[in-house]
Amino acid sequence: MKAAAVLIAATLTLGTAVHAADPPEDQADRLKRWHDLSQQVFGDKKLENGAKFIAIDAPDRAMDAALVPVGVKISGKKGIKALYLLVDDNPVPLAAHFTFGPAADPREMKIRIRLEQYTYIHAVIEGQDGKLYQAARFVKAAGGCSAPAGPQDQALRDLGQMKLQTLATYTPGKTMEVQLHIRHPNFNGMQMDQVTRYYTPARYINEADVSYDGQEVFHFEGGISMSSDPAISFGFTPKEKGELTVVAQDSKETRFEHVFPIPSATVSQ
Amino acid sequence: MKALLVAALMAAGVPEPSGYWTGPNQGDTPDSVAGATVIHTAQLAKLIKKEKPVLIDVSPSPPPPPDLPAGTVWMAPVHRDIPGSVWLQEAGKGEISGEAEDFYRAALQALTHGSRKRPVVLYCHPRCWLSWNATKRAVSFGYSRVYWYPDGVEGWQEAGKAVSATEPRRP
Repeated sequence: MKAAAVLIAATLTLGTAVHAADPPEDQADRLKRWHDLSQQVFGDKKLENGAKFIAIDAPDRAMDAALVPVGVKISGKKGIKALYLLVDDNPVPLAAHFTFGPAADPREMKIRIRLEQYTYIHAVIEGQDGKLYQAARFVKAAGGCSAPAGPQDQALRDLGQMKLQTLATYTPGKTMEVQLHIRHPNFNGMQMDQVTRYYTPARYINEADVSYDGQEVFHFEGGISMSSDPAISFGFTPKEKGELTVVAQDSKETRFEHVFPIPSATVSQ
Repeated sequence: MKALLVAALMAAGVPEPSGYWTGPNQGDTPDSVAGATVIHTAQLAKLIKKEKPVLIDVSPSPPPPPDLPAGTVWMAPVHRDIPGSVWLQEAGKGEISGEAEDFYRAALQALTHGSRKRPVVLYCHPRCWLSWNATKRAVSFGYSRVYWYPDGVEGWQEAGKAVSATEPRRP
């Protein structure tokens, strides 16, 4: 009885939070999965409906399930402490967890993820008020987790090489949108080597710290739902001159570091 | 996925191996299985409506990767397939254990109520050899109306047909 009540409550929350035009028929199963998943990640903390100010940008039907762009836009004036992106039906659903520092403009973030099957994607933000707010979107794509990765030696070439792309014009004092690329196969442990028939061991970027002139932009924790060659788009406010420092680490504890002078060379190494 | 599926469907099939396929599960498969009939979505939908065939999904279920960092939240994915199907994970293995083969044989016998003439449909994913093997095996058990549905769960789903969550049956 209690479980049923929780499920109904969840239905009401999700019912208003869904943006995709085409909800799945097996809604009850999906809601149960989200209920179990949110319990695992957030415990008994209440998730408020954030659909009014959290917009998830993703294709309704993705062309490549191993490389699905997902963006989160947050409107309004709410202070944002952290952002979680969860792929309900992936085996390791927590794709990314960003904790924002003072140098961040967290209102527009974008990553690329793998989808194993048709699924809801949830964005959960933690406000400065300490509350959690959620929004969801249904995306159709399948097979992204087990898609073969190609030969290991080739995939590990130039490991950890970084690139920074400017997505908007640079004006000191105004938010600058950039995209960080890290060269890394992000092996998820579910990709079978088509020649050896063994699963390629999991090895992926699981942490990154981005700072601007010593001030934190964000701390990132990532899971195997992140696509190979992880890409993160984010915003920060540059001064006349400064440096963006990225320190990343993979699950085999290999560390990668790079400093990007801002402005000037936005593509490097 | 759709593009991939179309490409998979258009690719000319490879020749049928003489025995069971023991190579990688995923790859180019033949266009036929000796002794069985290949069907696609529209025909399968019709067959389900008319004759309620025995539907057997032989999709594998990959184990959790052993080398995920401690504390990683792993939640076994929900497996969805054609409603009414029975999920037998081992039935399509190239090298099958005696136990798994007996289990498959007994499951078929029970599901067909002992009638070798009852239609039986085998599937897994597109470009998946497991359903090809399971089809061939059902023919070898003496079933006379065995169908192979190579479009798999994804083909069914892409055509807008319903899928539902299921649990595997194990020996």
